[in-house]
Amino acid sequence: MDEPFARTGARPFPEQGREKPQWHKGKPLAAMAVLGVILLGCLACGLFIPQDPAYMDLYHADQPPGPGAWFGTDSMGRDIFSMIWAGGRASLFIGFSATAVSTGIAILVGALSGLAPGWLDSLLMRAAELFLSIPSLLLALFIQAALGEAHVGSLSLVIGLTSWAGIAKVVRTEVRQARGSGYVAAARCMGAGFSRILFRHLVPNVFPSILFMVVMNIRGAIMAESTLSFLGLGLPLEQVSWGSMLSLSERAALSGAWWAVWIPGGFLVATLLCVTEIGNALREGQDRRRRNL
Amino acid sequence: MGKRYRRLYYGKKLLGFFLSVFLLSVAVFYIARLAPGDPLVSYYGSQAERLGPQARAQAEERLGLRDPIYVQYARWLQNALQGDFGISYKYKADVLEVIGGRLGNTLLLGGGGFVLVFSLALGLGLFCAWQEGRWPDRLLCRLGTVTSCIPEFWLSLVLLLVFAVWLRWLPSGGAYSVGRSGDIPDRAAHLVLPMAAVVAGHLWYYAYMVRSRLLEEARKEYVRLAKSKGLGAWEILWKHCLRNAIPSYLSLMAISVPHILGGTYIVETVFSYPGVGALSYESARYQDYNLLMVLCILSGAVVILCNMAAQAIQERIDPRMKGAGAPEARGVGGNG
Repeated sequence: MDEPFARTGARPFPEQGREKPQWHKGKPLAAMAVLGVILLGCLACGLFIPQDPAYMDLYHADQPPGPGAWFGTDSMGRDIFSMIWAGGRASLFIGFSATAVSTGIAILVGALSGLAPGWLDSLLMRAAELFLSIPSLLLALFIQAALGEAHVGSLSLVIGLTSWAGIAKVVRTEVRQARGSGYVAAARCMGAGFSRILFRHLVPNVFPSILFMVVMNIRGAIMAESTLSFLGLGLPLEQVSWGSMLSLSERAALSGAWWAVWIPGGFLVATLLCVTEIGNALREGQDRRRRNL
Repeated sequence: MGKRYRRLYYGKKLLGFFLSVFLLSVAVFYIARLAPGDPLVSYYGSQAERLGPQARAQAEERLGLRDPIYVQYARWLQNALQGDFGISYKYKADVLEVIGGRLGNTLLLGGGGFVLVFSLALGLGLFCAWQEGRWPDRLLCRLGTVTSCIPEFWLSLVLLLVFAVWLRWLPSGGAYSVGRSGDIPDRAAHLVLPMAAVVAGHLWYYAYMVRSRLLEEARKEYVRLAKSKGLGAWEILWKHCLRNAIPSYLSLMAISVPHILGGTYIVETVFSYPGVGALSYESARYQDYNLLMVLCILSGAVVILCNMAAQAIQERIDPRMKGAGAPEARGVGGNG
């Protein structure tokens, strides 16, 4: 033993910096890639689709996928490949704009409810609970049915107006928590007004935790659009979207035209799945403690 | 002290219920009448467009569509309180009769679906919590995420395509084959696909709730105690954790009744199943006011009742909530 103080029995210390933090860890890469392809394809659909998606060619109706039409044609002779990309535009646009509407309402209501005196708070939360207890899809269905012919704008508005309650409740909880914290008191001491506290201090702090809800809301809005259009209460047939494409597919299913059911639905479900994956990844990590079982 | 208090409590609830239904009816009445659309179309079909101005005025007079809205409402309410909800413009029959013929079908589909979702979700959640992190759990979680992304109507379409068109195992629509309305196996065969769509559309949401609630419980201290007593993991979950998780699950399920019923509305349309769902959106679409009113009030009453039931369940099962009835009622007063 030439070393006077040899270390014995100590666990070798892992060298610092040996494991590089992996940039892709915890990020839903596959979902992001697929969603990216779908988004890009829909946005740039004018560049590569072979046919006008609204062009009806009854002579070539109900053709299975083949060299002429990659995804086949529907019962009105429209080219499904072209419709997928052009229709995705409408569906995704409604998804995002409806979510913008509902998030706007939710932030307003939630923040107001979190900051307002008790009676207003309980009133607003009652309203939110009322909205939550009615299936929002049904509510949208009835409003849209009463409004008559839909277009992209009205559909986004209706879907947005019926789906804000869930986000509003989360915003309220977060605002309540933030309200009691020191920095709000400090801002108030320095004479900040209501709207300044709201928009400069509370909104940025509350944002991360409502992001998950917002992403899930996009999913819900795309789903609502397709369901409403499927029932014939959303976009009309001439206005191509994934939902309105599927509104023909009930007959297609009965006549065995599987491509008119599987292909638009497949794109729809793939999009929804990607959005869900991204949403789940945004949510804070699960309880990592060991269970006591 | 209990009895008088309880009577007061139930009285308040009952009053709240009727008040909500009343407000709902006012709202639906106004929205339906103010919305664009022509109720004569649902009464006369496409002939309505060919009516001359005079005949049109007469028809509107006869259906009482010319009075101010509040007069129409008052008349409706007066009749409704006597049990007369008017006739459906489209079906030319008493509203209650039109609904009555279909309510049973929806209750069968929705009720059966509800019971199945309720029990399967409990079992699935329990199993996943038990297997947490192991491959069965991971597999089921992935599968559940995927199914939760499939819109109900599309799932119904796919089921229809696969089992009714390709395999020809099951009928493609309706509630029974022509002329066999009393045949129970036939009815059951018609129920399988719609029921499968309803259950698959909702199952994972609730199963996941059960799973995460149980996992939360599994991290509490009493579990360690039970384990040190020598109980197995399954026994602890089943006997101890579940008992703590069930009140919130029950009240969640009570709130969810309208959601599952709402799901049947969409499935009914795909399978052309003669239920209330298809009827209600038809009535909204064709401005069939009398029918729409009753259906909306019916759905609204279900929503309100389920909310009350959820509250009651929570107060009943969880002793800590027992006193909470009073603060709940007080909260409305505004000193919360």
